[in-house]
Amino acid sequence: MPRYELCVILKAMQRPETAAVLRRTVETLFERGAVVRSLENLGERRLPYKISKHDSRHTHGGYFSIDFHASPKIVSELLDHLERDIDVLRPTVLKKDIELSKAQCCGTQAEKAKTAASR
Amino acid sequence: MFALSSCRLLLQALPKQSITPRATAQCIRSLTTSQQEPLKKDDMPIKMENPFKSPPKTCILCNITVDFKNVQLLSQFISPHTGRIYGRHITGLCGRKQKEVSKAVKKARSMGFMSVTLKDPQFIKDPDICGIKHFE
Repeated sequence: MPRYELCVILKAMQRPETAAVLRRTVETLFERGAVVRSLENLGERRLPYKISKHDSRHTHGGYFSIDFHASPKIVSELLDHLERDIDVLRPTVLKKDIELSKAQCCGTQAEKAKTAASR
Repeated sequence: MFALSSCRLLLQALPKQSITPRATAQCIRSLTTSQQEPLKKDDMPIKMENPFKSPPKTCILCNITVDFKNVQLLSQFISPHTGRIYGRHITGLCGRKQKEVSKAVKKARSMGFMSVTLKDPQFIKDPDICGIKHFE
């Protein structure tokens, strides 16, 4: 199953309410057959720009990142569900790519180019 | 007179020193044929890697993963006044990393991690990587 990352910005709320929102988000994921890998709190910060969502303009928000494995079919349903949630300001689902090996970075590339040119 | 000059010519013709050659170590070796020790090449150059080789050229982000969540790193490559991404001739990054930074900045902007028109005030005092001189 491909690996996705859900980066979600929640409304600036008290701790129990934030916990409730995260709980129902993760439960939605479980219902659709996703395997949650990790849930990270990236902190409550001031938003870089004011976001108007669900009839109100927000300046602060809580950033959370959920790493999960799921079937590609559920991604659109999940985004639809999150858009309807009043407490979620901006949901984004990204695909996690396999990271390139570090050996391919600049220095080795330049050397390869040199050897190729000298031939 | 003629005798003197002819005498001088004869003297010049004759070798100044004795005919037997000076016995150097190499000469002795060449004369004797039963030598079996290998020839010592003392003056041949030793094979080694070039000691004056310059280190491979790398860009500043070589072996550093660029992430859209790392707003501080990405903010170093945008203008503090307009928030625009600097070009390759300013940042000095290699092609691959410039593309990664550019993509990460755009991703962060759309996801609500980074501002579009300005640089986050807490990152303005960060050290200058790009070395661009702004009109003050």
